[in-house]
Amino acid sequence: MTDDDLRALLRRADPARDLPASPQRFPLEDIMTTATPAPPAPRKKIALAAAALVLVAAGIGWLTLRPEETTPTVTTQELRTVQLTAPGVQAKCVEPTAEVLAERADFAFAGTVTAVEGATVTLDVTRVYRGDAAGQVRIAQAGDSSEQMMGSGKFENGKKYLVASSQGSMLICGYSGEADAEGLQGLYDRAFA
Amino acid sequence: MDLEGRRRRFEALAPAVIEAVRRYLVRRTDPATADDVLSETLLVCWRRLEEIPEDHLPWAYGVARNCLANADRSRRRQARLFARIATIDPPPPAIAGPEPRDGELEAAMANLRAADAELLRLWAWEDLSPPQIAVVLGISANAASIRLHRAKEKLREELRKAGAAAGHEGETEGSRP
Repeated sequence: MTDDDLRALLRRADPARDLPASPQRFPLEDIMTTATPAPPAPRKKIALAAAALVLVAAGIGWLTLRPEETTPTVTTQELRTVQLTAPGVQAKCVEPTAEVLAERADFAFAGTVTAVEGATVTLDVTRVYRGDAAGQVRIAQAGDSSEQMMGSGKFENGKKYLVASSQGSMLICGYSGEADAEGLQGLYDRAFA
Repeated sequence: MDLEGRRRRFEALAPAVIEAVRRYLVRRTDPATADDVLSETLLVCWRRLEEIPEDHLPWAYGVARNCLANADRSRRRQARLFARIATIDPPPPAIAGPEPRDGELEAAMANLRAADAELLRLWAWEDLSPPQIAVVLGISANAASIRLHRAKEKLREELRKAGAAAGHEGETEGSRP
């Protein structure tokens, strides 16, 4: 018995062989409007955020307490590295506006991802819209998806992103994402004009 | 991905998923459970839209398979309860009707290991290739290919045995006084 014969034999016994096409339309709307419950923020994320804060604090501490450098001039080569955290919590978002972005963001930049190592994403800064100059930004992603990030929803090596943050936390919900995501560049231009 | 983009993508791929998963479930469970599991599968697809690969049907079958396994677990608990009731108060025995034409195949499939039978169903009924079967079952493409090949061999063997036994049974019946 060949494979084709065997398959034909099995197909004759297929209970769905004579199943007509679905008569009623499936209520897709119900599915899409079913709220995605925001899971209670697990301790891990708090710990991550805390760790990031400690890192930032340590960085600031080091910057202010470090011994006087031999070359006191500000160089554009050795720019500070900024540490951010990206929340993995899923939430419902309202439409992003330039006003909110301008009000909430204390740091905003355009950058290209140079490395994704585990939960840490490293970006080389190409332009700072707000905040102090920085050469590199490292973002600790909590969870594996940032559903509210615009574009593909996650950081990918080599791609350009626009990222805004407030007090060391990345702003999601349409305020950060791929640089070529619809409307994002315009939002940044308006907010930081 | 923004909400509008998600909706567009979901609406674009949902009809094909609904049709395919509906068939997948009708083949494996009763209509009521099939409806429940279909809704659940779509909900998972909506929530995990970003994870759905280009070839989305095998992935959707995989989700449906897990949802069905969950539904079956709760059903088995119910069935155990019914079984206890039936032991105390047995229903009248059903009168065996004429064997359906494909009874031989059904018996041969029943003699296979459940995993082997499922591989054959995915291959023949859902019309999946070994790499696609691998996505549904969460195994490597290589493993799927080898296991499918063996399952086919086993089914052929079972069918041969069944054919031989049927002939033998006919003879003994004929010689009875």
